[in-house]
Amino acid sequence: MKNLALPATISIFSIIIIYLALDIETSPPMIVGDSMQPRAFPIFLMVLNLVLAALLMWQGFGEEPKKRAPLNKTTIGSLVLFPLFYVLTTYIDILIGLAVVLFLMSFFWGERRIWVAAAVGLITPAALFFLFNYVLSIRFPRGMITNIFYG
Amino acid sequence: MIDAIAAMSSVLLDPYLLFLILVTTVVGVVVGVLPGLGATTGAALLLPFTLTMPPVHAITVLSTIYVSATFAGSITAILINTPGTSAAAATTFDGYPLAQRGEAGRALGVAVVSSTVGGVFSIIVLCFAAPLLALVAYEFRPPEYFALTLFGLSMLATISAGGAIRNLIGGVFGVWLATIGAEKTTGIERFMFGNYDLYEGIGFVPVFIGLFAMSELLVQSKSAQRVANAFGLKAVKLPTKEDYKRIWRTVLRSCGIGTFIGVLPAEGATVASMIGYAEARRWSKKKEEFGKGSIEGIAGAEAANNAATGGAMVPTMVLGIPGSGTTAVILVGLMVHGLRPGPYLFTEQVDTVYQIFGAMLLANFAFMFLGLYAAKVFARISLVPLPILWPIVFALSTIGAYALNSAMMDVWIVLVFGVVGFVARRFGFAVAPIAVGLILGEMVERNLQNSLKMYEGDWWMIPAQPLAAVFLVLAVLGLLAPLISARISKWRGRNS
Repeated sequence: MKNLALPATISIFSIIIIYLALDIETSPPMIVGDSMQPRAFPIFLMVLNLVLAALLMWQGFGEEPKKRAPLNKTTIGSLVLFPLFYVLTTYIDILIGLAVVLFLMSFFWGERRIWVAAAVGLITPAALFFLFNYVLSIRFPRGMITNIFYG
Repeated sequence: MIDAIAAMSSVLLDPYLLFLILVTTVVGVVVGVLPGLGATTGAALLLPFTLTMPPVHAITVLSTIYVSATFAGSITAILINTPGTSAAAATTFDGYPLAQRGEAGRALGVAVVSSTVGGVFSIIVLCFAAPLLALVAYEFRPPEYFALTLFGLSMLATISAGGAIRNLIGGVFGVWLATIGAEKTTGIERFMFGNYDLYEGIGFVPVFIGLFAMSELLVQSKSAQRVANAFGLKAVKLPTKEDYKRIWRTVLRSCGIGTFIGVLPAEGATVASMIGYAEARRWSKKKEEFGKGSIEGIAGAEAANNAATGGAMVPTMVLGIPGSGTTAVILVGLMVHGLRPGPYLFTEQVDTVYQIFGAMLLANFAFMFLGLYAAKVFARISLVPLPILWPIVFALSTIGAYALNSAMMDVWIVLVFGVVGFVARRFGFAVAPIAVGLILGEMVERNLQNSLKMYEGDWWMIPAQPLAAVFLVLAVLGLLAPLISARISKWRGRNS
């Protein structure tokens, strides 16, 4: 039964996209001419995906479902850091976001020497900031710390 | 031809470019020895750093990373039985047993020489084949381009990772991603959900960084507490006369195999090295040594994977169809720097093209030098603790993506596609087909639309064009290739 889960998910995704594509505006014939409407190509792709999902299902019949190891703590921790980075970067500062996330990532990945994890969290964003700002002339987005720097 | 040689030689007169080749070769070797990084991730991470460079310098950086990282995977494959890149997986079969016998220096020497010969051979082929292919490609009109891109997508069925159906689903998903944003002819919005940051479509670079670097970070987190194996190496030894006598046929054969596999759209160094290894075993007089420490095995795999690098640049530069995952990043690099991949590149910017080829040639000699004299140092880099390495990759990925357009949206795309890539890989999908699909998506749709306009909506006129028909037949064969090869293996198994 588990072998059906993946093709079923792909099929549901494809059907949702087809539904959304049906909502795409149609273009006046004088612009499109003999070509396709903008919605036609994505619909065609998703129909193709439905066929491929059916083939995947057919391929999976009679096969033992593959056992996947559950996600370990490090992976889950790393995944949680993504939204944390988004929140810190959006509402405070990208440099603070990076520093916190790099420190925590280093820690989650097994670095138990706090000073090493802290060094990763502090030196890396600082080095990248100076490299991009001075060497590549790329300004960072404004935030709490970058505002102090840029004035 | 003289102009081409002059353009290639001009690289030698540019000290900054020579310096860049040397530095990037070092970076490429470092990227290659670090398990999980590899040429594609390395090129994707370095792309934002090339933004301020002139086009030749920028593409040189990316292509040097490609050739040097492809070679460097063999260093850790031989010394610690961990291929730095997937293209070096076949090198572990015989490289590590040789290292265990105390012959790591000899194994590395064979790998370095074979890789260099493979790389140089493929660049020479590239110099001759690319302009010839460009001459043919001048004749291509939308129907031919449409059929060609379909052929490129169909080849996804034959790449080893993932399996045919999963790769095709990944490719279709990539093509669909290319439809996000305003449709090019009509300006009608598709799948934007009111987000005008997506009006121009999803950027290739953030998607690539997410799919390759960020998803790899999540995959590697499974083995975060891995302790690297120790290794023993005194010095790298150049092959002896006897070694050369044993491997020269294998090296030449693998040069041909690697270059040919590289030229095929979507195929890359990994497939080439596996076939190179298998063919080396098939033609060897000492088959029993394979898997136990055969230098022919190392030569077969290494010459083939580096020969694939030059081969893969042929469709990338001449047709705008990536020959591998890394050339997909190089293709994006060409576009970012205003070079339009396609046959016109060989008339409008011929000097630039040959300077890039010249730089790639030099990169092959640069990694030979580093491989011979500094392999031991580079192998130690693979011992860098993962809790330090991967947070740095996270920072490089996010800031690199931001730097491209100074847009935070690109950073969020990296994070989202990091998760998408991780989930895809967890369920047995390879991420390269998604990347190839994304690149070819716009080309497929645009050429299909233009073909329909040309023939007043008559679909049947597309296969009626002889060259388009050839590509469509090849596309069908590409789709059927896994079935055919399974049948052949079954038949061979029954006969033996």
